[in-house]
Amino acid sequence: MKYPYYPGCTLYSKARNLDQCARKAALRAGFELEEMPSWNCCGAIYNTNTDDLAAQVGPVRNLAKASQLGERLVTLCAACYNVLKRASEHLQATGFEADRQRLLDFVDEPLIRDVEVVHYLQVLKELGWEGLRAKVAKPLNGLKIASYYGCLMVRPKEVLKFDDPENPMVMDELVAALGGTPVRFDFKSECCGGYLVVNHQAVADACSLRVVENARTWGAELVVTTCPLCQYNLEMAQRRRSSGNQLVPVLYFTQVLGLALGLAEAELGFDDNRLDPRPFLLTRGLL
Amino acid sequence: MNSAANSSLVSRIEELSGQRVLDCYQCGCCTAGCPIGELMDPAPSKAIRLLQLGRAEELLASEGIWLCASCLVCGTRCPRNVDYAKIAEACRAIVLRAKRSVVDPDRVSPEQLQDIPQQAFIASFRKFSV
Amino acid sequence: MARSRVGVFVCHCGINIAGVVRVPELVERVKTIPGVVSALDYVYCCSDPGQQLIKQTIKDKGLDGVVVACCSPNLHEATFRKAAAEAGLNPYRCEIANIREQCSWVTADRDAATEKAEGIVRTMVAKVREDVPLFRLQVPLVKRALVVGAGIAGIQAALDIANAGYEVVLVEKEPSIGGHMAQLSETFPTLDCSQCILTPKTVEAGNHPRIKLLTYSEVLEVSGFIGNFRVKIRQKPRYVDLDACTGCGICLEKCPVRVESGFDRNLTRRRAIYRLFPQAVPNKVVIDAEHCRQLQGKRCGVCERVCPAQAIRYEDTGRIIEEEVGAIVLATGYELFDISRVGSYGAGVVPDVIDSLAFERILSASGPFAGEVRRPSDGRVPKRVVFVQCAGSRDANQGVPYCSKICCMYTAKHALLYKHRVHDGEAIVCYIDVRTPGKGFEEFYRRATDEGVKYLRGKVAKIFRRADRVVVWAADTLAGKKIEIEADMVVLASAVIPNPKGVELARRLKIALDAHGFQSEAHPKLRPVETLTAGFFLAGCGQGPKDIPETVAQASGAAAKVLAMFGTSELYHEPVIAEVDEEVCVGCGNCERSCAYEAVKVDVRRGKAVVQAVMCEGCGACSVACPAGAINLKNFTKRALIEMVDV
Repeated sequence: MKYPYYPGCTLYSKARNLDQCARKAALRAGFELEEMPSWNCCGAIYNTNTDDLAAQVGPVRNLAKASQLGERLVTLCAACYNVLKRASEHLQATGFEADRQRLLDFVDEPLIRDVEVVHYLQVLKELGWEGLRAKVAKPLNGLKIASYYGCLMVRPKEVLKFDDPENPMVMDELVAALGGTPVRFDFKSECCGGYLVVNHQAVADACSLRVVENARTWGAELVVTTCPLCQYNLEMAQRRRSSGNQLVPVLYFTQVLGLALGLAEAELGFDDNRLDPRPFLLTRGLL
Repeated sequence: MNSAANSSLVSRIEELSGQRVLDCYQCGCCTAGCPIGELMDPAPSKAIRLLQLGRAEELLASEGIWLCASCLVCGTRCPRNVDYAKIAEACRAIVLRAKRSVVDPDRVSPEQLQDIPQQAFIASFRKFSV
Repeated sequence: MARSRVGVFVCHCGINIAGVVRVPELVERVKTIPGVVSALDYVYCCSDPGQQLIKQTIKDKGLDGVVVACCSPNLHEATFRKAAAEAGLNPYRCEIANIREQCSWVTADRDAATEKAEGIVRTMVAKVREDVPLFRLQVPLVKRALVVGAGIAGIQAALDIANAGYEVVLVEKEPSIGGHMAQLSETFPTLDCSQCILTPKTVEAGNHPRIKLLTYSEVLEVSGFIGNFRVKIRQKPRYVDLDACTGCGICLEKCPVRVESGFDRNLTRRRAIYRLFPQAVPNKVVIDAEHCRQLQGKRCGVCERVCPAQAIRYEDTGRIIEEEVGAIVLATGYELFDISRVGSYGAGVVPDVIDSLAFERILSASGPFAGEVRRPSDGRVPKRVVFVQCAGSRDANQGVPYCSKICCMYTAKHALLYKHRVHDGEAIVCYIDVRTPGKGFEEFYRRATDEGVKYLRGKVAKIFRRADRVVVWAADTLAGKKIEIEADMVVLASAVIPNPKGVELARRLKIALDAHGFQSEAHPKLRPVETLTAGFFLAGCGQGPKDIPETVAQASGAAAKVLAMFGTSELYHEPVIAEVDEEVCVGCGNCERSCAYEAVKVDVRRGKAVVQAVMCEGCGACSVACPAGAINLKNFTKRALIEMVDV
């Protein structure tokens, strides 16, 4: 099964490990991500001002290109998912037909059909946890894992309709299928500080440390993420402000997926992590 | 600024954000749940209060609207379905369109450029720069 | 047979009508309507002189039909029909043309209003000319009442009816009576012990010679009509012989199974054989079949062996009971909005975050800690407790949009009782608005603040765990600040919602419900204890959130309505009902399927529809559904409707 896939810019540079593990793990899980032959930046953040269509041109152009490939477009980075999904929903929203027309007039590619933007996790869920469980080569040995969804996967809830915004579960279900123990915690969808790290680093660090601290309170040994910026903030805030046994390794969910499906250590991209998870994984017999 | 200009600013903010400030009943849930609520001044509920009272220029001159991470928790939990993140975004747009940047891309350090995922820069510039 | 001596009376209703409709012009126009022999106006037709004018004109002009152009028939149709009857006219030849709610109140355009008013009057003149005299139907009356739910509302209604000399069947789904009031510690604003004021009532209801108490029972179906209901009740298997059980309690000590106690909001464990609380009425045990080892097919039988009264009946299958009653009081009560549904408040899994009924149990002398305030997780005395108001109330997004009404006062009570028991403890109440509109309520709230309870204005956004404490993200909107509070325990004033079983029952009985599942009263102001279905009355929180005094008052009100009905020797039913033309009816059954009241049935033998006159509410649905035009509503015949449209 092949799915048209939009990787996005960050996944080509600072979040290579998120992307590379996803592609390889997909093959082991029984599907293939087929990268769009041509794409551009998603816009990185959605603009909500009602008169600001310029910010939508980027994502709409991607959608137009994707419409030539199929009905659905798979995304992986939480920010790309959020922006493309919201742009797609806006194009289809009743009462905004004029916006749709203006955007499509402006974009150089035709929109052949409305595109459903889905996340990689949703594809996994559709394919079924039982099937995935059967493909696990290295079960996670009950490792206690907190799934951190952040903001972009779940909000705005009425547009994304991804999962319960206060207690999303899809990544927890994945963790369980891979033999880990999902840890419910109170900060699954609280903010990591996001782009405030650019000009208010201390503020972002405080937000990220609260997330990690709460995950630890509920017994998590590891946190998994879907977003390059969450990943960065959670790792860097700890590197700057924590030490010793306070440190909780943070991995992309695709790294954990790849690990359980038997990808080689070299394929898992641990070199790109800012808090090396390897010593911890070794102690748990997973490397 | 006279009150007529102020009230037209409030209308402009409502139009850009698609939100109605009088929907808010000032419960303060947005402030309580804001991850940066301790620092944000005015805090979200107080910012909406300023608009309800027609004191838009006070809000536009404030620091609070530049501390929003667009996490959308305020609007997600609002019992009256008012989305403050959209209101703050509208306020920023009005200031930015008057050519006042809050984050200057030229002043980002090479170390930061090397380190931070680009999605953060684009987001930050989109929200905070002309 | 069109009547030709119709009189029209146009009411000014002060300026309600005359301020918009040009009344003198309307009167002149009305005079030209065929069949109208008199058109008059008066400032308030409903007043004594106004009615006098109508009566006198009927006599003077020999009117055979009357149209009063005034307010909604909901308000004064009865008034004017009575006046017409007093002047010798059949009351069903008096009709209302609503030119207020449907005309003057919905426009400011005087020309348009006058024209529309004329149209409305023309329509009703056309109708009255087709009206035939009708006569109220006499209905037999069983002077016996059913009360559903034996919380304080149902108990009070049952006692009032029984003490007036009539029999009552009191049905309760739980094994004993008392409802939520039995769970409460002390009651605001006087702080009397809930059990102490409740037990005299439960005992009286339990022993009353005219109250037939059916506990552990549920109403299955109700057929019939006002004055003549047949009720089918299922008594669930209790596995204990009620007559034999002495309530000695030996079985309660010996049963090997332990289950969380719902009565104690899961803070304690009970046995599989249990009673809800020591003062239960009836003071008899019950076996929880879901958890009983013997009933689950495993070997046990301990209770049977130890019971000195030999009261255990494992073979019990329950029974169906049928009762005949004339009136039904619904007192189905409330539940709390489930805290596990509020993810941002800990979803029911953050330790030491409990709802208000759980805190009542903690405060209660018969509760998990014998009245000492301790927290559920580790039994420690909490030194700082945060009380979260509007936990689900006034929240169109994550809860219910309405105000639950009782939480402000019981939260003040909770905080005060906590301070009384933990002298060095800190009580913080997070609120949006404090509402104290009741006798002694504001004083009670003041007492709480005077005794050191801290009130913080702001809705709580998030509750989470930090080590062994609970963190509350609150706000002080008066200062415009976010506040983080680390507490030992959090009590949520969860929204009051209608008891789901009551909602389900009301749906089955076709009792109108509002958008939130509360039973709708017949009129929000003037008929607060009646429903729109004749013979059904309302008491307590099933109709809307309310406190104990209000519940008791409403229950007595419902009882008074039942007694007023029982006090008359005969009941009458409105004669505006469906009528079958058997010549035309082919027995297709469309009418039967369209009837919401089960008043029309096809007689299979004869192949004709038959209307059960007293069950018909005169809605007209059958008449619309009939392909042959064989079923008509009296005085709303197809011919009359065509005349009314064609004016």
